[in-house]
Amino acid sequence: MKRRAFTLLALGFSLVTITNAVAQTQIYDAKTRKWIDYDKKKARQLYARNKQLPEAFRMQMVPFRTAEQPGTIIIDGNQHFLYLVQPGGQAIRYGIGVGREGFGWAGIVRVGRTAEWPTWTPPAEMVARDVNAAKWAAGMPGGPDNPLGARALYLYEDENDTIYRIHGTTEPWTIGLDVSSGCIRMNNDDITDLHSRVAVGAKVIVLMQGAALYRGV
Amino acid sequence: MTTKTCLICHLAIASILTACQSAPPPQDMARTTLETAPADLQLMCANSTAGPAGVDNMKILPVGSRAIDAQTYNVELDANGRKFNCVIDTAGNVRAVTPAT
Repeated sequence: MKRRAFTLLALGFSLVTITNAVAQTQIYDAKTRKWIDYDKKKARQLYARNKQLPEAFRMQMVPFRTAEQPGTIIIDGNQHFLYLVQPGGQAIRYGIGVGREGFGWAGIVRVGRTAEWPTWTPPAEMVARDVNAAKWAAGMPGGPDNPLGARALYLYEDENDTIYRIHGTTEPWTIGLDVSSGCIRMNNDDITDLHSRVAVGAKVIVLMQGAALYRGV
Repeated sequence: MTTKTCLICHLAIASILTACQSAPPPQDMARTTLETAPADLQLMCANSTAGPAGVDNMKILPVGSRAIDAQTYNVELDANGRKFNCVIDTAGNVRAVTPAT
């Protein structure tokens, strides 16, 4: 009896682990009236057809009840949204792409500096595991092919660069997905808009259930 | 009522129910299978935990959440290393903040 209970308990834990590991983005298909899985392949197909993201991932004003100051950035990594708090109980919501399994993180940090058409310098660990990154170990100049896209907000913990950024992308169809190495990616129009509204020093709260790494708390 | 007639009745009811289900508004037409609490509710819980935890809310981070029912969420918080649970409803009313056991 005890052994059976233990097996069921172990199975329960496994299911919880699997559920967390395979958390899947879904979009609502108005034709079939069903929620469908939204993976990299589906996202690329839809973007090629529509030339834009699903409406939920486009920039929009939404109600947002918070005691945080206007200008604060709140990132919901699980639901793939970035909120910029506005006065009057509202926020501008943008779609984002976040860290893939094992690369998610959470914490309270701040915008340490910003850049237009930033240079991309892959961190040493990325150079070690990715041959494409290795050829830019000394830095890739900013431009339309640069993976940081049009703008970057550099996230700091106190006075230290966390190595994480909020930046643009050359792959806009990846918004809404878990794809990055821990950075927060947005399409270039959205990061350009966010960059124009955000001040250096702004508070950034990153929510990510199940993340292994916590910063600034 | 025969089994066949009963099956037809069930199918008819199911299709009526499907037809009556309203689509979410366009801005809500994306989700993940991980049903976390909305970000604003998670942060309202963090704000309400500062008092009971005796910690500045800069040191309180929501680290997990789940729906209890259609109107209520449980939010797990890390308050400078101490764990708390917060129950909040969809209207933003904090029902309870308790240390995690």
